[in-house]
Amino acid sequence: MQNSSSSSSLMVKQEFFTKWKKGLKIYSAFNKEMTIMERKRAIKLSADVAIASTRSATTQWSRAVVAEVSSSAAGAARIAAEEILGRKLSTERRKAQAGKKIVRRRRKAAARGAVRSSAAAVAKKVVRNRRRVLKRLIPGWKKLDEICLIKETLDYIASLQVQVDVMRHLANAGETLHHQQILL
Amino acid sequence: MDVVGKDASVEPSNANDDSLNYHTPNIAPEWQVNGNNLTNTSIGMTSVCNSMVESSACSSPSMVDSFCPTVWDHSINGQSLGYCDVNVQNDVSTSSNLGSVRADLGWNPSAMMRGGMFMPPVSGMLPNFPADSGFIERAARFSCFSGGNFGEMMNLFAVPDPLNPFSQGLGVVHSQRHEMNMAELSKEGGLFMGKPGAEGSPFKNEKRSESLHDEAKQGVGIAGNDSDEAECSGRGPQEEVACMTGESPGKGLGPKKRKRGGVQNAQNDENNETPTQSAETTKDTREMKQKGDHNTTSNSNPGSKNGKQGSRGSDPPKEDYIHVRARRGQATNSHSLAERINDLLMMQVRREKISERMKFLQDLVPGCSKVTGKAVMLDEIINYVQSLQRQVEFLSMKLATVNPRLEFNVEGFLTKDMLQSRGGMSSLGLLPDMTMPFPPIHPPQLGLIQTCIPSNSAEALRRPINIQSPSVCAGFKEPSSQVSISSISEVSNWEDELHNVVHMGFTSSAPSSSQDLSGSLPPGHMKAEP
Repeated sequence: MQNSSSSSSLMVKQEFFTKWKKGLKIYSAFNKEMTIMERKRAIKLSADVAIASTRSATTQWSRAVVAEVSSSAAGAARIAAEEILGRKLSTERRKAQAGKKIVRRRRKAAARGAVRSSAAAVAKKVVRNRRRVLKRLIPGWKKLDEICLIKETLDYIASLQVQVDVMRHLANAGETLHHQQILL
Repeated sequence: MDVVGKDASVEPSNANDDSLNYHTPNIAPEWQVNGNNLTNTSIGMTSVCNSMVESSACSSPSMVDSFCPTVWDHSINGQSLGYCDVNVQNDVSTSSNLGSVRADLGWNPSAMMRGGMFMPPVSGMLPNFPADSGFIERAARFSCFSGGNFGEMMNLFAVPDPLNPFSQGLGVVHSQRHEMNMAELSKEGGLFMGKPGAEGSPFKNEKRSESLHDEAKQGVGIAGNDSDEAECSGRGPQEEVACMTGESPGKGLGPKKRKRGGVQNAQNDENNETPTQSAETTKDTREMKQKGDHNTTSNSNPGSKNGKQGSRGSDPPKEDYIHVRARRGQATNSHSLAERINDLLMMQVRREKISERMKFLQDLVPGCSKVTGKAVMLDEIINYVQSLQRQVEFLSMKLATVNPRLEFNVEGFLTKDMLQSRGGMSSLGLLPDMTMPFPPIHPPQLGLIQTCIPSNSAEALRRPINIQSPSVCAGFKEPSSQVSISSISEVSNWEDELHNVVHMGFTSSAPSSSQDLSGSLPPGHMKAEP
């Protein structure tokens, strides 16, 4: 099991890396000269889209990432994202479907007017607040309910770990290479 | 489900006591006139009592028959739908019994059915029948139960309580689900009990009970369709005792009911199985239409989905219920029995899911294994996610500075790095399942990595890489080796550099791997590495 899991994780890493490079190639094809900020943005966007595409839209956060890119990206970014995903991006705005659940929840909270000052109530409140904070961290948080939140968090954290891992290795290797070149 | 059976038996007896004389005449015309309603009601009640009925197979059906055999058949036949809920076998009869009892109290039929179990002490129950809402209203008017009584009963159904009667009465509960269903049913009974004489509410209750029914049905179906007639009969007396504060009339009638129920059980089962199911479904559909969108959604969800989806579908319905409840603006939260039951059932399912997933999170987030308690763990998770996101930003900036032309061909050799080191992102591979635990990074990979380090040539590197790939990437031999080879060839021009870099990569990754081995990956470490 460990072998398969590690191999599958390696596969994910590889997939991410390949897609990421693809996106970056498109960017460099578009702009030969980019400012550092542009480069950073290009790198980040390519990485985000690549890691989201490894999930192939099975998770909420990956869909949200792609939706955000499709609604706000333009030019090279869009083409790069499309290339990574292998499909055209839709330009429509995200529908406000998620509002329902949130509205309901607020109403529910409002209906309970009772003030409970017991320790348990305080603890629950703390937990609830933290859940809310965590929810906001995850892309596409508006459509997450409590159970989905944890599942999405799990997936998102693992994907972030892959992303950070690959980027870190790349950065390290690039840096050492750079140093080597300087030294030589 | 002795409780159910008991309730059924108790109710009719109670009903017989007081209002039987009064209500019976009304029942007949009601039944005949509103065959459909009856069916629907019975369906609703049946669905609620699914679990109860199944296991109890109690005499209640027979008792019901004794009261209104003709009516039942009429109504059931009238509906005769294609739905066949196995669970519903005895529901119709049971529900009718319960319903009649409830009607007396002015609850809507479904409520009555559910509440029936817990309402044995409620006297003045009608002999089975309740299908008509108009009848219910009438019954409510004549009901002698004051709110106080209901209050008592409601208290009995406080969150922990609903389960108690069940546990006592049931003794051997077939499955937790059954208990949950029973609790749910008792909750519903309480729900309805709380609104005696409320004409508007019976409808709402009915609707609510519908969704609850659906969910209960679902749960019951999953729990098992065993009919424990024998057990039920045996438990009858237990249930009576366990059930609410029994009132003498109710108890007195109980035995009678049971007897009758026993006689007619077989008949009812045969007759009611199919029609009950169809009737129930019809009623459910009707109820659903009457309800708002929330309820409809909640109803459809449990009804349509099963298994995993069902469990997931039940979550939104449960939430919808909560929303609906809040929207009603009830002063006290969930003082209705049915709601409590539903909440209990849902809470349990949700808690299980949440705890299971929190365990995964604990493995994934470093430093969470020692932490207990949701708040602290959530805090850790939040910090970890934030740190990961910040790292992505930081690394992308760093890469932007390092590579003026966004070229990463040179970095192809990094794939070797990734392949060899940090084999332990095993959690990612397991995520899709979410069923397997996340194994920690295993030592063999680390050992292999270390063997590569001493090599000084690209070829030497190739060897360990090729050797490693098959072992490491069991299922992905070719691609990984190909990648390694291609990346190696790419870098062949920089053999020395490659060696240095890879070596550094290994060394830099090795400590991280070792750290990973220990299962913790301090975020700060990543930044400190270069």
